[in-house]
Amino acid sequence: MATVAARPRLRVGIVKMASCDGCQLTLLDLEDELLAIAERFELVEFPEASSARSAGPYDVLLVEGAVSTPDQAADILELRRKAKLLVSVGACASYGGIQALRNWSDHDAIRAAVYAHPEYVESLNAATPVSEHVKVDAELHGCPISPDQLREVLVSVAVGRRPQIREEAVCLECKRRGTVCVMVAEGIPCLGPVTQSGCGALCPSFRRGCFGCFGPREQANATSLARTLAADGREDPDVARLFAGFTGWSGPFRAVVAAYGGPPGVIPYAVPESAEGGRDGRG
Amino acid sequence: MVIDERLPYAPYPAPAGTAVAAPPAPIASGGGVGPWFLARANLGVLIDLLREDGRTVIGPAVVDGAVTLAEVRSVDELPAGVGDEQVPGRYRLVQRGDRRVFDFAVGPTSPKRWTFPPVVPLNVGRRDGRAVSFEPSPIDPPRLAFLGVRACELAALGIQDRVFLGGPYTDEDYHARRRNALVVAVNCTTAASTCFCTSMGTGPEARGGYDLVLTELDEGFVIRAGSPDGADLVARMPVRGADAGQMLRAAESVGKVAAMMGDPVPTAGLHDRLLAQFDSQHWSRIAERCLSCANCTMVCPTCFCSSVTQRSDLDGDVSTSERVWDFCFTAGFAKVAGGSFRSRPRDRYRQWLTHKFATWVDQFGTFGCVGCGRCIAWCPVGIDIRAELLSIAPPLGARPEPVRPKPVAATPGFYATARIVSVRPETADVTTLTIGDVDPAFLAGEFGQFAMVAVPAFPPVPISISRFGRDTIDLTIRAAGPATAAIIGLGPRDEIGVRGPLGTSWPIERAMGHDVVIVTGGIGLAPLRPLLDGIIARRDRFETVRLFYGARTPADQLYREELRAWAARGDVEVELIVDRGTPDWTGPVGVVTHLFDQATWDGEHALAFVCGPERMMEATVETLESRGLPPDRIFVTLERHMECGIGLCGHCQTGGLFVCRDGPVFALSQLGGIFGREGM
Repeated sequence: MATVAARPRLRVGIVKMASCDGCQLTLLDLEDELLAIAERFELVEFPEASSARSAGPYDVLLVEGAVSTPDQAADILELRRKAKLLVSVGACASYGGIQALRNWSDHDAIRAAVYAHPEYVESLNAATPVSEHVKVDAELHGCPISPDQLREVLVSVAVGRRPQIREEAVCLECKRRGTVCVMVAEGIPCLGPVTQSGCGALCPSFRRGCFGCFGPREQANATSLARTLAADGREDPDVARLFAGFTGWSGPFRAVVAAYGGPPGVIPYAVPESAEGGRDGRG
Repeated sequence: MVIDERLPYAPYPAPAGTAVAAPPAPIASGGGVGPWFLARANLGVLIDLLREDGRTVIGPAVVDGAVTLAEVRSVDELPAGVGDEQVPGRYRLVQRGDRRVFDFAVGPTSPKRWTFPPVVPLNVGRRDGRAVSFEPSPIDPPRLAFLGVRACELAALGIQDRVFLGGPYTDEDYHARRRNALVVAVNCTTAASTCFCTSMGTGPEARGGYDLVLTELDEGFVIRAGSPDGADLVARMPVRGADAGQMLRAAESVGKVAAMMGDPVPTAGLHDRLLAQFDSQHWSRIAERCLSCANCTMVCPTCFCSSVTQRSDLDGDVSTSERVWDFCFTAGFAKVAGGSFRSRPRDRYRQWLTHKFATWVDQFGTFGCVGCGRCIAWCPVGIDIRAELLSIAPPLGARPEPVRPKPVAATPGFYATARIVSVRPETADVTTLTIGDVDPAFLAGEFGQFAMVAVPAFPPVPISISRFGRDTIDLTIRAAGPATAAIIGLGPRDEIGVRGPLGTSWPIERAMGHDVVIVTGGIGLAPLRPLLDGIIARRDRFETVRLFYGARTPADQLYREELRAWAARGDVEVELIVDRGTPDWTGPVGVVTHLFDQATWDGEHALAFVCGPERMMEATVETLESRGLPPDRIFVTLERHMECGIGLCGHCQTGGLFVCRDGPVFALSQLGGIFGREGM
C-alpha cells in the first residue's frame, strides 16, 4: 500500500457507441473498491457518472457499444489514435450486440417500417463490433460484462501482467458451483457448452438456459450443439433464434443462424444474399 | 503391457492414521456378527447417530431435477420413491411411489465434490517492498459421513487415493478430507442404461473401502460392517440378525442388476488396443460431435486435474491463490508460451479417452474409469464412450468398422495418373513397380488395400499395394494376362492410371499385444508385405511374429533379400518351403502347412493373416483352427474378378459380399459357408 503514491495514476476513459450503458455501470458494481480504484486510476471520461468529457489521451480506453452510425464509425478511428490500450467492453462492442440482428434484414425496409421520416435517421446498414473498425487490444465479453473481469483488466494493466481470464465453457462454472445441467436434466436448450465463461453461470443457476451473452468460447463447436438441439425435435427457426441473440453476429453463432434459415422475423433484402451468413455491411 | 484381466480395485491404501479400513470381513459387534437387518423405520437412527458424532452427512437428495448429493439432516430428505431414467445426453427423474430411498442410479454429483472440492484456497502471497511471503491456507475440513456411496464410487475413491496419496508426493488437503470421512455404502439394486461397472470390475456390489454397506429391501436394509468404526455404529443401532430370506433377496437383487448391465466394454487388451490408435481418423470424427465443454470430466468421479488461479489486490501486493477444477478439455490446460499442445478438440478427446483406458494404467495400475456412466448421461450431445471405445479399439472378435481414406478417382471411369519410378524383376514372371507422383490418399492407404491399375487399351486390373513408401507405393504384379503383361512391360518414367486405395485392410491394430502368424504362398506375399513392414516398424507392440511362406520353387520366392533380412532380425521367425526343390535348396519341400502342423506353439493368443490360392488357404485354415485359432481371428483374402473395385459392377459378388468393397480382407467368421465352397 505504501507504493500507491509512487505510481502515476493511469488515465482511464469510458466511451460509448450504440449501447445501453449497462456495461459501464458495471464499474459502479465494484462498490467495495471504488474509492481504491479512484485513487489509482484517473477516470477522465465516464458518461454515466459525470458529464465531464476528455479529449484524451487515454492510457486505457474502454469502448462500450457497437458501431452503428456514420459518426460512430468516424469517432472510433479518432479514439483509437488517442488510446494506448483500447478495450472493447461487452457483447455490443465485442460482437455487435443485440442490435446486430438488423444486419440480417434490409435496413432501409426496417427504417421505413419504424420511422415516419426515415430520412432523419442516420444509421449504418449493420451494427458491427469495434474490432471490425480498429485494432482492439482486449475484449471483455458479456451482457453486461463481469465486474470481476473488468477489475482484473484494470489491475493487470496497473500491475503490468496479463489479465487472468479463463478460456473455458460456462459448463465449468455450472459444475463448480454445483448446478445440475438444465439441458440434460430438463431438456432446456442451453448455449453454455459453446459460450465463454465469466458470468458465474448465472442463468442456469436460475434454471434458465445460457443464451450466450459472453459469446463463443475458443473452439466453440456450435454446429454440434445445434445439431443436437435440432435432433431433439426443435424446428429450425427455434434453433436459429437461440443462437441469434446478444452475440449472434459472432462467427460461430452466425454460421449456425445461417444454416438454420436465419433469425426469425428477418425482412429480406430485395436482392437475395449468399447463404453464407449475410455481409459485413459497413456504410 | 497387456491388461488382460480386470484389475482389482484395491481399497483405500490407508496411510497412517486413517479411519478407513481394509476389505470387509464379518466383524463382531454387540450381540453378534453381521449381516444385520435394519427396519426401514429405523434408517433415521443411522443419520442421527452420524450427526451426533459431529459429522456432516452427505447423501442423496433431489435437487433441480436430479438425485444429487447434498447435506442430509434427516431421513425425510432422502429421495423416497424417486428413480431415474438415463440415456446418453439425457437424465430424467421418475416418481415410483414406493418408499425405497436408494433405488436410483448415480446422479451428476459424486463424493469427489467433497474430497476434491471445485475450489480450494491454497495460499495468500504478499509483497512488501522487496520481501515476499506466502502463507498457506489452513486445512480444516469438516468431518463428513457419506451416505449411499455406490460400488463404482468406492472404486473411484480408491483411484483418487492412489493419485493423491499414492506418493511420492501427497495432497494434504485431500488427505485431510478423506481421513475424516466415514463411508456408508449402498449396493446397487438398479442400474441406468448408462451403467457399465460390470465391465470395469467395480460393481454393482461394494467390495471394500466402506465402513458400512447397506442393501435395500422393501422392508428395510441388510447391513454389513467393513471397519471397526462401522461395527461401532451398528452396535448403537436397533438392528437384529438378518435372516436367510433377507440375505438371499439382497443377493438376488444385486445379482439381477449385474445381469442387466452385461459387459458393454470388453476390457481385455484394451490398453494396447487403444494406444495403437493414436493416429486413427476416428478422433476427428468424435471431434465433430465433441463440444470440449469438459462436462464428462467434471462429472467423472476420478478426474483429478486442476489449475491454480490468483486474484490480486489493486496494487498486485496481495494475492490469493485457489486451486480450481480444470480439465484437459479447456484451452489453457496444455498451453505454454508458444501456444497449446492440444489446440484441437480431437487432441483433447484423445488425451482424455486414452488416459482413462490406457495411460492411467501405466501411471496408477488401474483404469481411470469405474463404469459409472456419468460422462455418457451428462454429455450435452450424448457421446457414449462405450460406443466410441468399440469403434476405435474394437475387441477381438468384433468386426471393426472400416475407416478408409477417401480413394482417389473413386468413379470407375476416372483414373489418376502416376509415374513409374523404378522396375524390379522379382521372379521370371513377377515384377515390382515403384510408383511415384501418386495422390497422398494412396500414401495414407492401409495394409492390404489394392489399386485398380490401367493402361489404355487394356482392361483395368486390381493390384495389391505391396509397399507404402514415403512418397511412393509398390505394386507387385504377375504377368497373368495381356493387361498385366502390358503393365510390367513399362519402364521408368512411363505413366499408368490408378484408382484407389480400395478395399479392406489387415486389422493390424487388433493384433497388437498378440502373437502374429502370417501364412502365405506365391504372390500372396505381396499384400502382406506392408503388414510386415508395419509390424516391424512397431515391433514391440506385438508378441511373437511368425511368417510361413511357400513357393513353387526357390526361384519363385518374392522379395528374397527382404526374407533374409527379416529372418536375420531375430524377432521375426521366417520359415520357407517350396513345392519342388533345386540342387542348392537346403530347406524343406512340401506344402506350407507342413511348416507348422507339427509346431509346438498354440494359437490361443494369436491372430493369423493368410493370403494365397484358395486351396492353400483352406488347408491352412484347417490347420490353424486345429491349433486353437477361432474363425474371428483368422483373416484371409479372397480373389475374384473385379472391374469397378467399389462394389458397383457386381462381378465380385460372393454370397452377401462384394469382395472388392467388403474385402478383399475378411475375417474367416464373416465368410461362413462361402469360404472354400466350390462354385461361389
